[in-house]
Amino acid sequence: MENKRYISVYFDDEVPLLQAVRKLIEKKETILDVMTPFPVHGLDKTLSMKRSRIPLVGFIFGALGAILGFGFQAWVFTVSYPLVIGGKPFFAVPSFIPVTFECTVLFAAIAMVTAMLIKSKLKPDKSFVAFDERISDDVFVILIDNENGKTTPENIKSTLAGIQTVEIK
Amino acid sequence: MDEQFKFKKLYRNILLMIMTGGLLFSLAAIIIFKPGASRIWANVLLNNQYFLGIALGAAFFLAVHRIAWSGWHTVLQRLPESMTTYLPVAFILMLLMYFGMHHVYHWSSFEGYDAVLEGKKAWLNVPFFFIRLVFYFIGWIALTWLMKKNSSALMNKSDITFHNRRKIFAGLFLVFFAITVSTSSWDWIMSLDAHWYSTIFGWYVFIGMFVTSLSFIILLVWFLKRAGYLKYIRPDHVHDLSILLFSFSIFWTYLWFSQYLLIWYSHIPEETTYFIRRIENFKVIFFINPFLNFIIPFFALISLRSKRNLDWVAIVASILLIGHWIDYYQMIMPASAGGQSVIGLLEVSMTVFYTAIFIFVVFKSLSKGPLVVKNDPFLEESLNYES
Repeated sequence: MENKRYISVYFDDEVPLLQAVRKLIEKKETILDVMTPFPVHGLDKTLSMKRSRIPLVGFIFGALGAILGFGFQAWVFTVSYPLVIGGKPFFAVPSFIPVTFECTVLFAAIAMVTAMLIKSKLKPDKSFVAFDERISDDVFVILIDNENGKTTPENIKSTLAGIQTVEIK
Repeated sequence: MDEQFKFKKLYRNILLMIMTGGLLFSLAAIIIFKPGASRIWANVLLNNQYFLGIALGAAFFLAVHRIAWSGWHTVLQRLPESMTTYLPVAFILMLLMYFGMHHVYHWSSFEGYDAVLEGKKAWLNVPFFFIRLVFYFIGWIALTWLMKKNSSALMNKSDITFHNRRKIFAGLFLVFFAITVSTSSWDWIMSLDAHWYSTIFGWYVFIGMFVTSLSFIILLVWFLKRAGYLKYIRPDHVHDLSILLFSFSIFWTYLWFSQYLLIWYSHIPEETTYFIRRIENFKVIFFINPFLNFIIPFFALISLRSKRNLDWVAIVASILLIGHWIDYYQMIMPASAGGQSVIGLLEVSMTVFYTAIFIFVVFKSLSKGPLVVKNDPFLEESLNYES
């Protein structure tokens, strides 16, 4: 049997997935990636992944959005085009708050999505070979590195004996 | 797992001492400084409403988690449950308002003709006020009692039907609570400014209640962990409590600001009086309110690490408890006691008195059962919870 570059293990639930991840780490297999249909609690910690810095990006750009949104309105309504609206003063802070809030959310959201796309090297014209269509559907998959033929599917199978898997290939 | 909270003699004596101290200082303040009757009764109303809010928020916490079949809160559900046992005490204390309502509710003693009050007479009259008061309290007490009884039945008999039945009680409570929390806040707070109304007011008061209640749960967890209990409440549970505290503080600000913005924009005299009175005579209180209840929790709880640090969250929770007391103060005092209200010895000692009663009732009820529920199908999930 020829050696494959990847060995993929399929699950239909998160509990056996977590058990399998722990066991594979114990056996010192290299886990390339784990793909799940929804976020699995505790998976990041088990894989000892570093914490994502997306929240920091969100905070910085949210603050930037707040300052720009507020500053733009302040400039428009006091310097550039002062208008009397409902007898309110030109620099009417309460009426600026909703727009400032929206700018904060908009800047933070767009910056976080952009940062995520840049970080994971996703471009609009990037194409993928569908490794298995179920991956983008409802199965949980662990991808194990087998570039140097260091392990075999049989090996993995015996490691994961007793854990409920759908398929190993 | 059979942990039992012991209501030690020491705690009991300290609480009783604080209680008598608070009462004596309040009486002394009344005798020495001779505040007007409306200021005294406004204080009673303020503390009634504040601690009732903590108890009701706890019942809401339980109901909303049960109806969603949430698993994570199972280890700590005895804490809010014991907080709801304050409701009968709140009922008695609220009935005391019968003796002082004429001093704070101007509509109740108004004689002569007033077109606005005449129009609201069908709702704002003394007999109906007390009929509603009794109705609210009987509903809240009965439904929380049923919820509590059902939980203890599940603990003792380990029958799954009790678990399934919880959802029904939670649903009944939520429906009753959703309506009565609004109407009770109109009755007890909004009617202080009898000419004024705001349609968002019920929501605003309700979210304030929930925030104080979450803060109190966090402080209770902090205290019990310090005293050596609740070893299995991990940073993951604290994290979720902090997320709720953080998000509902923001939601409170949203409602506070919505009410302000709409009234400020439309600039109708009968609506703006509410804010003019508060901003002109209570400037510090009015502006410190969003600062304590929004700016501080927002920046203090925004990062992940601070949400998981119980000591830090407990500090923020204490600030929020003070902040929401001030929030109620600026709702109640300017309308009832008016110009003579300051935060003096009377306010502080009466709040201390009520706090001691509240903590006493909670500890008493907490010591009657195990600290962690037994036989709950969600217990295992909650113990292994990871956020």
